[in-house]
Amino acid sequence: MNKMYIYDGTFLNLLSLITFLIKNNIKPTNIVNSNYEPTLLDEIININIVNNPKIINNIKNIWGLEIYKIMLYVYFSEDSYKELIIYYLYLNCLKYKRNTLNMRNLKCVSKSLKIAKYVSNEAHKLKGFVRFKELESKVLYAEISPTNNCLLILSEHFKKRLSHEYWLIKDVKRNMISIYDKKNYYIIPASNLKLNIELNKNELEFADLWCTFYNTIGIKERYNAKLRLNFMPKKYWRYILEMSDENEKSNK
Amino acid sequence: MKLKEKLTILADAAKYDASCSSSGSTRKNENGIGNASYSGICHSFASDGRCISLLKILLTNCCIFDCKYCLNRKSNNIKRAIFTPEEICTITMNFYRRNYIEGLFLSSGIIKSPDYTMELIIKTISLLRNKYHFNGYIHAKAIPGSSDYLVKKLGKLVDRMSANIELPTESSLKLLAPDKKETNVTTIMKTIKENRNTKFTPAGSSTQMIIGATNESDLDIMSKSSYMYSNYNLKRVFYSAYIPLNNDKLLPTLKTPPLTREHRLYEADWLLRYYNFKVEDILSIDNPNFNLLIDPKSDYALRHLNEFPKEINTASYYDLLKVPGIGITSAKRIIKSRKYFKITFKDLKNMGIVLKRASYFITCNGKYFINKSLFNKEFIENNLVLETHQINKPSITQLSLFNE
Ligand code: SF4
Repeated sequence: MNKMYIYDGTFLNLLSLITFLIKNNIKPTNIVNSNYEPTLLDEIININIVNNPKIINNIKNIWGLEIYKIMLYVYFSEDSYKELIIYYLYLNCLKYKRNTLNMRNLKCVSKSLKIAKYVSNEAHKLKGFVRFKELESKVLYAEISPTNNCLLILSEHFKKRLSHEYWLIKDVKRNMISIYDKKNYYIIPASNLKLNIELNKNELEFADLWCTFYNTIGIKERYNAKLRLNFMPKKYWRYILEMSDENEKSNK
Repeated sequence: MKLKEKLTILADAAKYDASCSSSGSTRKNENGIGNASYSGICHSFASDGRCISLLKILLTNCCIFDCKYCLNRKSNNIKRAIFTPEEICTITMNFYRRNYIEGLFLSSGIIKSPDYTMELIIKTISLLRNKYHFNGYIHAKAIPGSSDYLVKKLGKLVDRMSANIELPTESSLKLLAPDKKETNVTTIMKTIKENRNTKFTPAGSSTQMIIGATNESDLDIMSKSSYMYSNYNLKRVFYSAYIPLNNDKLLPTLKTPPLTREHRLYEADWLLRYYNFKVEDILSIDNPNFNLLIDPKSDYALRHLNEFPKEINTASYYDLLKVPGIGITSAKRIIKSRKYFKITFKDLKNMGIVLKRASYFITCNGKYFINKSLFNKEFIENNLVLETHQINKPSITQLSLFNE
């Protein structure tokens, strides 16, 4: 049987489970969150592990911020073995400590770095691609639907950049929303928030000015649709204001 | 005139300036609106694949000069417009808070006089900084020929200030831009170099050259770049493939802009700035222009094949950088990793190092990736040319616009 260990889907719970498994010398087949639908070959094991809030600081202090960041970013990915990869990374950290990330000949290290890079690249792209609309209430509102979970990284970014605004970023795919109140942001299930997304009356004017600018700035003698697609893949177009028209056209 | 029409005219007139980067500034949000991102952020990509980071506009497209290659020259009969400072602030602030842009790029045609134009630019940007508390990225063009005290005033307000040299030699400038003097541009560069600190153009200065409007060789152009990098501490030289906009007997007739050549110049520029290459390594009087079929680094390697293959486990950092396909990140990664284990070809792959071009020029523990008898110029050259044409996307140019 496949030994499938269950955690509650949060990063802290995952790390708590991993330390428990390692302490007890248990090698899981995989670690999955509670939404997992088991196959006939799976044995589901739910330990209901109690969170140990000290773990995160321990990782940061003993092995360094970089390793913590890599683990977190892997957790944000959609890789179906991400939990297991973090498990093996953790295991190797016990052995190689602060040198772990240099051991790129280890599969779990090279995989982790690759996945983390993929997540941070996508988050970096989205820092540019997020488009806010101003609502009637003057709150700025944006929708995203990235491949990886970028909401925390983006919230950190906009907390600094748009610190004087109220803003909301909704991850449509994961149905989570980040709410910023000019002091802190809170990431909660979108269904917990009643939202009136009526637009401010200025909104269309500025949206139109932006599209005008966008359509003017390309040089037709250098037209290169392939290059644009490389940098701005089609999966993002739906939520990028200036591309949404073209997106609809090409979907018809 | 409606704001929308002005924006169309003044963005259209600004779009030929190649600089787009918003990087290199560490402006923190200190009770204002916005901040700057050190590594730069692209907010969109135009239909030509170029990154859009800044609201790139001219203050006005009116101009008292008559540069032959320029759409805004006074002898052209085109629609003219001028933004008020308030209008620019409104658009910038509203675009910024919706996350359309990273900041503002403001240039201008010369209206009345260089000083008059500079004062308008300064007025606009101080309004933006002081009344609207805009704290995002600003790149302004300093107007050549304006007074030094104005250049200094503008430098305190912006992240980057630049002035375009436009053409690689004084004689070309005389021919195509008779009103311009190279010394007017270099004076600005000198002021920036001498005053630069965290409060004065923290992201430094850049310049632009138009490629293919005059008959300079790549060697002329690269020598000029190299001279400007070392004398004025420029952050970037941008190369802009000439696009025919005006009919003039002094201008060449081109069917398509020389984009591959532009791409090669960016690649070579990169080699100068980060890879310790000198202009003499890649070009010479006998060989004054780039090989359009392969990139300058591969070209160098093929002409110096006796220095290769490099052994991955022992080569120095700068030797690794000489290998086509191995960049700074890869070289550093190799140096770090080989302290812990002996690197094989398989490890290189796992380490995320692209071997397409590199594999021809390296050994791992003495092993070549195929039969070593194939290590000869003809075999490698043929494969590299094929490789280049399969990839055939000018991605480095675009990346290099950002990573400084
Ligand atoms: S100075 Fe020359 S290049 Fe600049 S706007 Fe006027 S005509 Fe064009």
